[in-house]
Amino acid sequence: MTDTTILSKTPSGTYVSPNPKWRHFRRYWQLYVMMLLPLCHFLLFKYAPLIGNVLAFRRYRPGMGPYGTEWVGFAYFERFLQDPSFWRAFNNTLILSFGNILINFPIPIIFALLLYEVRSKRFRKFVQTVSYMPRFISTVVVIAILGELLSPSSGLLNRVLGSLFGMDPIYFVNEPQFFRPLYIFTETWQFTGWTAIIYLAAITGVNRELFEAADIDGATRFQKVIYVTIPSIMSTIMVMLILNVGSLLSLGFEKVLLMYTPSNAMVSDIIDTLVYRTGLTNQNYSYATAIGLFSGIIGVILVSTTNWFSKKMSGESIY
Amino acid sequence: MHTQRKFRPLTFADVLIYAFMIVVVLICFIPFVYMLALSLSSPEAIINNKVSLFPVGLNFAAYEQIFTYPNFFKAYGNTIFYTAAGTLISLFMSALFAYAMSKRFLFGHKLVMMLIVFSMFFSGGLIPTYLLISNLHLTGTVWAMLLPFALNQFNLIILINFFRAIPSEIEEAAIIDGLSYFGILRRVILPLSTPALATIGLYTAVFFWNDWFNGLIYLNTDQYPVMLFLRNIVNGTTMVGDGAGAADKSTIAMSIKSAVIITSTLPIIILYPMLQRFFVAGLTVGSVKG
Repeated sequence: MTDTTILSKTPSGTYVSPNPKWRHFRRYWQLYVMMLLPLCHFLLFKYAPLIGNVLAFRRYRPGMGPYGTEWVGFAYFERFLQDPSFWRAFNNTLILSFGNILINFPIPIIFALLLYEVRSKRFRKFVQTVSYMPRFISTVVVIAILGELLSPSSGLLNRVLGSLFGMDPIYFVNEPQFFRPLYIFTETWQFTGWTAIIYLAAITGVNRELFEAADIDGATRFQKVIYVTIPSIMSTIMVMLILNVGSLLSLGFEKVLLMYTPSNAMVSDIIDTLVYRTGLTNQNYSYATAIGLFSGIIGVILVSTTNWFSKKMSGESIY
Repeated sequence: MHTQRKFRPLTFADVLIYAFMIVVVLICFIPFVYMLALSLSSPEAIINNKVSLFPVGLNFAAYEQIFTYPNFFKAYGNTIFYTAAGTLISLFMSALFAYAMSKRFLFGHKLVMMLIVFSMFFSGGLIPTYLLISNLHLTGTVWAMLLPFALNQFNLIILINFFRAIPSEIEEAAIIDGLSYFGILRRVILPLSTPALATIGLYTAVFFWNDWFNGLIYLNTDQYPVMLFLRNIVNGTTMVGDGAGAADKSTIAMSIKSAVIITSTLPIIILYPMLQRFFVAGLTVGSVKG
């Protein structure tokens, strides 16, 4: 009976509690139930490994759980900081990353600018569609094709070089000096078209009136690109740059692993492959976790500093 | 203004741009054409360096041979299973999660959104993930392949943004008609969201189809996906062309590799022209800002 004094009846016939929280849950409980399973899954597979990083400070013993047995402080960090193979991997990662950004950051922008200048809309669409197809090809396939194209015995490239310049066959995939160019070039091949989509969308969104005003001022096509298009898409460029710099240490690990041969190890051993080798091949779990955590933290620092810097400089940020 | 632009004569710059674009298209295609030519050529033609972009001594021996490998069929079947099951699980989980997360008024909404975005920049890393999977006793089971990747933050954000853009009047009408939130999701929201679901479904399917590394670290040989089978042929873990003499081995291996490359990439290449509009959609629907 007391219920009638607390609850008032709504037109649809349900009682409404004056307590807003209780009312909220009564009305939306299904949404919370919906979220339950995926949220647990998310926490288990994304955050449990994150917490699993404590292993970097703890000694791992087989069969004693994923979080190790006793605290050892920064012992593993001190150990890898004195390990020359860590510094080799660190340098290789930085060189490969900077090389990659230097080449593959501007190329999609240039490609998008050029593609936008293509007069025929249908041809533009066709080129664009073809150009981002490689993005969906497996890295295994890309590296397998690379191996066949560059094969010293019968690969297409060596034959072309041989017949045009009379060069001796080069075993490209095995020579250390070709590892970085090949890594960067396959990135160009695979991702230029895909990344260009973002820039092309930005260019398409530029206010038409700006171009018309530039036309009236007698600007040439090239001047319009330099003084209208590029400044207009600067915010997109900045956001992409932040994302690129932020992922400086996370190279295409799977690709490097596929391209790795003992003879190119001195340039192809990066932090991620070092973690893989020490962790999964040699089962040095704590040590490998420490290296992985170190590079992860540097990654977060890189994203937040570039983001902060870009916010200060141009007002653009990703969060 | 527009018609004027349309009939402007082609300038030298235009010609250069067209030529450049044609080169770009060729660079994207030539590797596949070369693979197709190699896979269809005779070993003699390959060893004498006659094959470039067209098959020489057309024959299907390489395909006949890979079809006799039981491991190839097994691996191909495994990949089809991982792709189908993985995509279904992923769509189911993502739709539930994203629909609830599209309601900003839920308690904890901001916190969960922050958790999603933060984990995009800072992930657990290889070793902790590996130890988690093996401590959950998933290693050696197909679940190691399917479960850890059921939710992807990028796809979630695409879907959340898409759901948010659906006018709330539609939902209010459904509530008045007496539908529960589960009913709304199933009968109203999901049918309206086929483009977004197709987009993230395709990303997920491509991910599972192309994956080899997780197969390598978590699975047994008979559970390997086809990309891992290919990788093992390429790096020599799996020997091919055993039936031939040593001299022929490398050239036979070359056409067999090409045949595996073609067969394992074929579904993507065939479906690509039909589905490409969905592939791009994700880039324009999703924005990282929550």
